[in-house]
Amino acid sequence: MRRSAQVAAPLLAAAALAMLSGCRKPEMQRCVDENNKVVADNLCENQPNQQQPRSPGMGGLLPLIPLYHYYYGGWGGYGLGSTVGGGGYAPAYGRSYATGSGRTTRGGFGSSFSSGSRGSGAGE
Amino acid sequence: MQRIPLTPRNDWQQKVESQGLTFHTLDSGTPYWDESAAYEFTAAEIDTLEAAGNTLQEMCLAAAQHVIDEKRYAELDIPAIAIPAIEWAWNNEPPALYGRFDLSWAGAQSGHAPKLLEYNADTPTSLLEAAVIQWSWLEEVSPTLAAAHFGAGKPDQFNSIHDKLIAKWKDIDPYLSKPIYFAGLDNPEDQLTLVYLRDTAQQAGLDTLQMFMEEIGWNDEQQAFLDPDEQHMFSIFKLYPWEAMLQEEFGIHAVESYQGTRWIEPIWKLLLSNKGILPILWQLYPNHELLLEAHFDTAPSANSGGWQDVVVNGSSATPSPSGAATPTGPGGMRSYVRKPLYSREGANVTIVRDNATIATTDGPYNGPQIYQALAPEAVFPGNNADPRYPILGLWMIDQDCSGLGIRESSGPITDNLSSFIPHFFR
Repeated sequence: MRRSAQVAAPLLAAAALAMLSGCRKPEMQRCVDENNKVVADNLCENQPNQQQPRSPGMGGLLPLIPLYHYYYGGWGGYGLGSTVGGGGYAPAYGRSYATGSGRTTRGGFGSSFSSGSRGSGAGE
Repeated sequence: MQRIPLTPRNDWQQKVESQGLTFHTLDSGTPYWDESAAYEFTAAEIDTLEAAGNTLQEMCLAAAQHVIDEKRYAELDIPAIAIPAIEWAWNNEPPALYGRFDLSWAGAQSGHAPKLLEYNADTPTSLLEAAVIQWSWLEEVSPTLAAAHFGAGKPDQFNSIHDKLIAKWKDIDPYLSKPIYFAGLDNPEDQLTLVYLRDTAQQAGLDTLQMFMEEIGWNDEQQAFLDPDEQHMFSIFKLYPWEAMLQEEFGIHAVESYQGTRWIEPIWKLLLSNKGILPILWQLYPNHELLLEAHFDTAPSANSGGWQDVVVNGSSATPSPSGAATPTGPGGMRSYVRKPLYSREGANVTIVRDNATIATTDGPYNGPQIYQALAPEAVFPGNNADPRYPILGLWMIDQDCSGLGIRESSGPITDNLSSFIPHFFR
């Protein structure tokens, strides 16, 4: 016999089942500026709810759209200064999201290939 | 070697899905996993293939040593920033796991030896199809095959990939910090290939975690790659080519921190997964029976390069619309394949026969190319008498040729839409 004595791959079988039943991974949650460029998460965390001070001399407080928003899902990475798109400013029902963190930057690998089904992988 | 038409199992889709192959059918509706046929070999032919894989592995390691000794990195278009890491990795032998030689052969009756088309040494896929799905297929259809074709005796298969992978993980366990991270892109083929490799590592007793390439973090203060929980990643299996990593934002960190991370495959595999290894092999082993004549392109590149992986099986091809006269290639070659050093999955390839371009593909890659002679014809009649072009993938688990997986196409270019056909031997 030139074959493996027994081939059992339970983790593989379970993963395939999960994939077929629509199990989803957490999507990205990033803090972005008005141009949808990623900025540090603490800028969103410190964001006032509804109002933001105007520059000195402009007088008073004005209701403003915050400069920074969390951006949910879509494409792009966690890299500071990178552009995001394809997602939204509100989380989608039933989805889970994960933030980048602190001084660790993410998204520095994986940009050379687009995501999709068979035919867009990195294997050969 | 012959191609045997077979009747697929009634519920083959459900069966292969339950074993892990969800991407069994192409978007066109054509089966990717195609059990409407199988390739049959003799035991002697399998011996020939196994010996070819082991010999080619020795030759490739010698070629890698030659590239390092003679510093021929520029010919392989390898960036200077990667060289210290490549040389360190080569000299310190960090763990390497697997690779796949792609060969063209029409069996012993052809009168030719198998011919090396290329070595997918860094990110080979179609692994779970070869190791798991075709093993299970034969397990189930073996009685039917035996009754129809052999009378007494059971058909066998060249496929100890699963056992060898588990054994190899045990072998390299002492050199790896745990958990071992398995990282790749977000698509079913890559993710399930990763899960399968992870499965074999876990069966060998190693702790594992899985994530996406985009989730790998870099921390400047720690000078380390971190997982989403901010844990230091010491051992990383990446289903992602080194040439792409080196071009991306974290590439510089990967090479500068290389000695602190165990990357699988190691970065020296970049020397062998590069098409430039083919002319170097030909220079080191001229006229070797397992090789096709190959040369670097010495002329300035006008177009081409591919972001996809391609193997081209010589033989008659559908004439291209141009059919234009094409200059003779290096070494006086009149029939050849021209493909980029880093080509992937069928892009930017040109096939020339008798100085006429007979097939060409577009693609985004711009870079140096090589010329490789066309292999002797390897075409088999399909179920409808249509021509079928098989490519034989020999799986290397570390240094051992451990199994065979066959991809089949309707034309001479094998790409990521070609089907996977099971095999057996007697």
